[in-house]
Amino acid sequence: MKANDCRFMKTALGFSISTKIKGLGLGFALMLCIGAAAQDRLVQGKVTSAEDNSPIPGVNILSMGKAVGTVSDVDGIYSLQVPTSTSSLVFSFIGFKTIEVELGERSILDVSLEVDITQLSEVVVTGTGVPTEKRKLAFAVESVTTDKLPIVPTASIDQALVGRIPGAQISSISGTPGSEMSIVLRGINTINSGTMPMILVDGVQMGATLLSSIDPNSIEKVEVIQGAAAATIYGAQGANGVLQIFTKKGKSGQIKIDFSMGFANNKMLNVGGVRKAQLHGFTTNYKNEVTVAGDTSTLLMLDPATLLYNSNIGYDPLNPSVKFDKPYDQNLQYFDHFKTFFVPANTYNTSIAVSGGSDKTDFNVSLSKTRQESTFNGSGYNDRTNLSLNLGIELARSLHLRTITRLINNKNTINVEEKQDFGTGIIFGSILYARPFADYNRKDMEGNYGADYGEASSLLQFNPNYQWQYSSTLDNKIDILQSFNLTYSFPKYLDLDLLYGINYQDRNLRHEVQNQSLNQNSVNAFTWSYWNNDVDNTGEITTNYNNQTFQNLKTTAFLRFDFEKDFNLKIPIKATTQLSYDYRSDASKKYENYALGMPVAPPLTSIQGTTFGVYQDYKERFVTFGYLINQRFEYGDLAGVSGGFRSDYSSAFGKGSKPFTFPRADGFFRLSGLDFWNNSGISNAILEWKVRAAYGEAGIQPRPFDRYVTLGSRALGATNALYIPADQSNANLNVEVSKEFEVGTDIMFEGLKGDWLRNFQTSISYWTRTTENAIFRVDAAPSTGVGTLLDNAISLESKGLQVSLNASMFKGSKVTWNLTTNYSQQNSIISKVKGDEIIVGNRILKAGEPVGQLYGWLMLNSVDQKNPNGEPFIDPSQQSNFTVASNGWVVNKSSKQPYITPDRYGLGNPNPDFMMTFINDISYRNFLTFSFQVDWLQGNHLMNYTKQWMYRDGVHSDYEKPITINGETGAWSAFYRGVYNNTYWDKNYFVEDASFVRLRNVSIGLDFAKLFTIQKINRLQLVLSGRNLWTITKYTGMDPEISSYGANTNYSSRNSLFRGIDNGTMPNFRTYQFTFFISL
Amino acid sequence: MKNITRISLIFMFVITSGCQDQLDITNPNQPTPESVRNEQGIISLAQGALYLNGFQGTKFGSYFFAIIVNYHERMGDIVGSPFVPVELYSPDRIILDNGSTSESINAQGQKNYLRSINIPSSQNNPLAYEWTFMYSLIGAMNSVLANVDEISMSIGKKNTIKAWAYFWKGFAYSRIGSMYYAGIINDEFNTRNNVYVSKSEIIIEAENNFSDAETLLVSLSGNADYQNVIDALIPSICKEGKGDSPTIAEWIRNINTMRARNILVNTPAAEMTIEQWNKILTLTKNGIEMTDNTFTIRTDDQGNLLPTNAYTAAQAVGPASSGGGGNKVSERLIQDFMPGDKRFANNFTQIPVWVAPGDRGVSINTRYLLVNKGKGVPEVIIMVNRDIGAHELYIAGSYEENVLMQAEANIYKGNIDAGLALIDELRNYQGAGLATTTGTGLTVVQAKEELRSERRVALAFRGFSFYDARRWGILKNGRTGCVVVESNGAINTNATIRYGYMEYWDVPIAESFYNPPSPDSAPIVNPD
Repeated sequence: MKANDCRFMKTALGFSISTKIKGLGLGFALMLCIGAAAQDRLVQGKVTSAEDNSPIPGVNILSMGKAVGTVSDVDGIYSLQVPTSTSSLVFSFIGFKTIEVELGERSILDVSLEVDITQLSEVVVTGTGVPTEKRKLAFAVESVTTDKLPIVPTASIDQALVGRIPGAQISSISGTPGSEMSIVLRGINTINSGTMPMILVDGVQMGATLLSSIDPNSIEKVEVIQGAAAATIYGAQGANGVLQIFTKKGKSGQIKIDFSMGFANNKMLNVGGVRKAQLHGFTTNYKNEVTVAGDTSTLLMLDPATLLYNSNIGYDPLNPSVKFDKPYDQNLQYFDHFKTFFVPANTYNTSIAVSGGSDKTDFNVSLSKTRQESTFNGSGYNDRTNLSLNLGIELARSLHLRTITRLINNKNTINVEEKQDFGTGIIFGSILYARPFADYNRKDMEGNYGADYGEASSLLQFNPNYQWQYSSTLDNKIDILQSFNLTYSFPKYLDLDLLYGINYQDRNLRHEVQNQSLNQNSVNAFTWSYWNNDVDNTGEITTNYNNQTFQNLKTTAFLRFDFEKDFNLKIPIKATTQLSYDYRSDASKKYENYALGMPVAPPLTSIQGTTFGVYQDYKERFVTFGYLINQRFEYGDLAGVSGGFRSDYSSAFGKGSKPFTFPRADGFFRLSGLDFWNNSGISNAILEWKVRAAYGEAGIQPRPFDRYVTLGSRALGATNALYIPADQSNANLNVEVSKEFEVGTDIMFEGLKGDWLRNFQTSISYWTRTTENAIFRVDAAPSTGVGTLLDNAISLESKGLQVSLNASMFKGSKVTWNLTTNYSQQNSIISKVKGDEIIVGNRILKAGEPVGQLYGWLMLNSVDQKNPNGEPFIDPSQQSNFTVASNGWVVNKSSKQPYITPDRYGLGNPNPDFMMTFINDISYRNFLTFSFQVDWLQGNHLMNYTKQWMYRDGVHSDYEKPITINGETGAWSAFYRGVYNNTYWDKNYFVEDASFVRLRNVSIGLDFAKLFTIQKINRLQLVLSGRNLWTITKYTGMDPEISSYGANTNYSSRNSLFRGIDNGTMPNFRTYQFTFFISL
Repeated sequence: MKNITRISLIFMFVITSGCQDQLDITNPNQPTPESVRNEQGIISLAQGALYLNGFQGTKFGSYFFAIIVNYHERMGDIVGSPFVPVELYSPDRIILDNGSTSESINAQGQKNYLRSINIPSSQNNPLAYEWTFMYSLIGAMNSVLANVDEISMSIGKKNTIKAWAYFWKGFAYSRIGSMYYAGIINDEFNTRNNVYVSKSEIIIEAENNFSDAETLLVSLSGNADYQNVIDALIPSICKEGKGDSPTIAEWIRNINTMRARNILVNTPAAEMTIEQWNKILTLTKNGIEMTDNTFTIRTDDQGNLLPTNAYTAAQAVGPASSGGGGNKVSERLIQDFMPGDKRFANNFTQIPVWVAPGDRGVSINTRYLLVNKGKGVPEVIIMVNRDIGAHELYIAGSYEENVLMQAEANIYKGNIDAGLALIDELRNYQGAGLATTTGTGLTVVQAKEELRSERRVALAFRGFSFYDARRWGILKNGRTGCVVVESNGAINTNATIRYGYMEYWDVPIAESFYNPPSPDSAPIVNPD
């Protein structure tokens, strides 16, 4: 089998296309290149897609016998002189099934091609540099076209990709509109730089814009390579893998218009049924009226003028006789804070795209708007407008220019306290922990809300209504992505590719806090809303300006030789040399100023302040550049190897520094390409079988200023003082080295003969990787005067398996059913730490432990339970003081409080044992589609801090649950309050199995255009879909999928160490959505 | 073909070499260590070493005056608090008037609590805070001392800066030695010393630094550079009230007060020798005088020095309905006021019984609130003013402290009237409006009670109560005759509180984990 090498078949993108036509023994293209033989009659026709009847340009048409051939034009039209003897024509095009059509006596032959669902014929470019068929890949590349992705209410590509990429852990960690997702590809390879992969858009790195800002309507497809073995060619930043987005291009032919409109209703998930106790254990008088602490003759009352309770509440939760058994039916009423503040909210999406093209140009322009309201009542909305233009021009023969422009305007009014990258969810948390008798909808006599009702209702509270009344945030963001791609192909040997992209983001956030000095609650409770002004309640305006410019320039030369053609050698070897140079520059600025002391009457401007200041004035620049040399050899379709190295310079190491150079290599072998295979019976059962392996190293550089030692500076009155920052950088930091090895196989089986199970394909990859010298901020001994120091302190090891299985479950005349199953497992452990162990917050990092291992103290399940040394936790002489309560925990008989071990132990791994996704696509004829996706995460654990704090404050509904201790039954608060024991945080009691099975997505679509065969309308489809409709989990919190910030960390989604914490973060939501599509 | 390869390689080489300049990126946002190698830079660092490294923030948290002084005053029972770590300031046992025992939330006692949370992690380990603040101060001053001789500036300026560095190192070692069972003497920034020495050796090191400072100050006498530098070292906003730049003589008197404190707070009152009292007498006679400037810190509108709510007294002010802010005024402070003390009348207000939830302990229940800016009683001190910059907090010694140490030395030496005269002087100074005690024929016991009560009242919220409770044996033996409000609102007037608190803290494991003691180190765990 010989490969094709038809340069005239280049598409506008510069792809060289090579296909294999099953069952035929020779390379047609070669014959084509040589030329045609006798020409006896003319055959003409049009090639269209069976899917939407659109013309397909570039289809390879050959006469049977391979004597002559041609290619369809932009309108799908072809004409071919064929010898009289020609009995049939073969039509082939990438992504479509190759067919052979009997010619008979016909001279007009119109053909409709069906999409080839077999993935091995797909062409990918990510990780390979040159477009390569999947069957010739030596590593795993996942690709998914957006038409296969579910419609998500956030209209963001990251949400849509959840579960779709085998091996990738893409999870939504916060339901706050505008939040980023967490993406972990192969394991945790760096702690300093987070887990986020490199994002490429049409070949250029997007370094400023968030992935979640990109409009999925403008995306054609997404490709993902997951580790260093493939991603090294993109430089050091590729160590976490690469996710590449391809923008939709116009097709030649008629102008196409696509319009869609969607409406979704979202409601915060609460799968664990979290709520506050409806019974209480407060001190009451004989009428069950709640009295103030220490005085049973005075009722607890809210002062209507100040919205403060008259005193504290009589509450003695550790008292072993106190039970939660009294209803809120007298002077205190039960208010369901969750119902008040967690409300359904809507999302609106509209999108229009116009595309078309001629033989020299193509264009696709799309405009979309999406608006997502927060499910946290009153906290704001996120509004996004995307405009994108993709324009391709053939400037001259073989010289193509493509320019892709994206403009994104984002307006976000989510209150700063709730923002993922600024706030910490304080306001959301304050609602979780407030006692349920506080009526936060109440206004004082002047019509104002109160922030803090006094300790009676909560030790830590802040009424969201107060926050919304006195403060507002406006966060405007403009993103520009522009890329130019110029390609030139010499007639032989050499292709040149020049790519330049600029990604600019301008963000302007203004947070306005009104003067609250007339609010009686603020005055009397000494509390107020603020961001920077923690000094008094006179308000402030804080403005935060950020901008970032990211540039990426790539030049690549591909040298190609075909030993057979170019050198007339009888060996089917092709060689491709890739020489690339790329340059990246990232420059950002942050500036924040504030004006404190606002007048009482709005409107407010900063100039009205009485105190002004600059909170932040920060610039950062990072430059890295390097070159890649990669050599690839292919032996026909049978095997291929490649190898090369990548060398990078980085400004983190300064001028004159040496580059870091890392090697890579890969190879594949197609067993099914061997003659014996094709000649034997195996080929009837196993159509395709390839084995592959790849190795690569990448150097993860320190962050821009990690190696620059600086001092701090702050104004003290009229002058500035210098100080030594507690967190020190380290001039001796080295690059982190990540090494990956992967092996895999891709197999295609022939299935049953009937309608059921006609074929299967599977892809299996196993990978291992290590990171040495991972940078971590470690504690120093305080007596040195240093707080923490960045150091190359840790080594990490990860390994994993990813499997995808695609099956045609059923294909009848009317119904088709395809099933995709993705499975992956991975684990990352710490292989080495400097010193014996590193303590960070409540975590202990030591060799052999999983990354992110949860640590804490144990509650016991039997009185004589033994510690790892085989000794009983409780001294046998004391054991008679303890008993096992009816809920299974060991408690002290007299105090009713649980026993807690004095030492800490590993409590659970936040990372799942495995993840599985099942995607079913079913269609009835061509107008009715039904699909659903089920995600299954098994074995991940969450530390339920949300519950812990609700235990602390005695508000969790568990307090109502009666338990029996030593023969006495009651809802004993001493047990529950004893579980939250301030001395020992992080207990096994709060570590929960957060495995879940979730109906991620279900949708049903009806295409009226096809149902009624409406002329001139390609699509008139209504899709009803639901997301996160149903979850099975043992987890008792609101959502097993959320993961909050850890202590000592800055930004959750990028943090790789502090996973597995549920700490008052807004959960994901359940969505019902209608979307309407029209395509002309 | 060869040409193409050659051209490509040359092209790459040109680009690569041309880009080398672009790698030359330094951090433009912050000053570098180079910035301190000039006169202005070293003065700025000497200033920041105290106010920012010492009192503003460390990796474990911000504001010495909020965290550390709060711990002292909560353990010293000037205030109570329902906030974490409650166990730190919850007495082991309270025996009520009727003889019944109020269960403590510290089932195992405070000592065991402190040991159970003494783990390397930074979170929730109160032992780590004062240690870290003070070594942060010492480390930064070490950096000042390491740089100052490298700079070309006058010897007078250098010596003023050095005197500042030694004085504050002396201050920091004083605090370490007065709180921890052992410490580390470290003269080099960012360098580990694993030889731990006993607390008394740390106090000696404090004295060594004080005497270095004094020697330098004496040498600076009459030097015009002194005034320029000390003016630059003290932030403008602190130069109010007693906070203006001290003269050389005033500074030396400040040193003497600190020296007297180190003797007083680190020796149980019952074990004080006559030599020690004589020493204190000599030192306090040469200590801070009524009109002397001392070292103070004030709140500022940006919270760079101190936010308006980040000190003990500010947190004892609070909503009338809920017993105060983060700090609740202790009933044991109120009962220490002599009847008719105008300082009480001006600064406190009585409220209906305020009772904390039972899981926070009964000791914080109270009937009193501290009043912001006082009630306007003329000529009487106000104990808290939350307006920006209005409240003066003493960092090191004060006249009040000095005069009370002198009074105590006199009384313990048997010079009762001499001691009482000083108490009367202080009461007049603060506008207490109490009858003169001098010449009323008080017994030694009565005089000591006047002294005890006056120290509680006059130095309230300033961070002396823990030291006093320790040296008076109250931590160990408890206090009798206490006013305690029970959870049911009942007022006990003769309760006994068994505090049982650890007297000198173990070295935090946040230190010893990262800096294991050498074999010849002193014990780092209090055997008590």
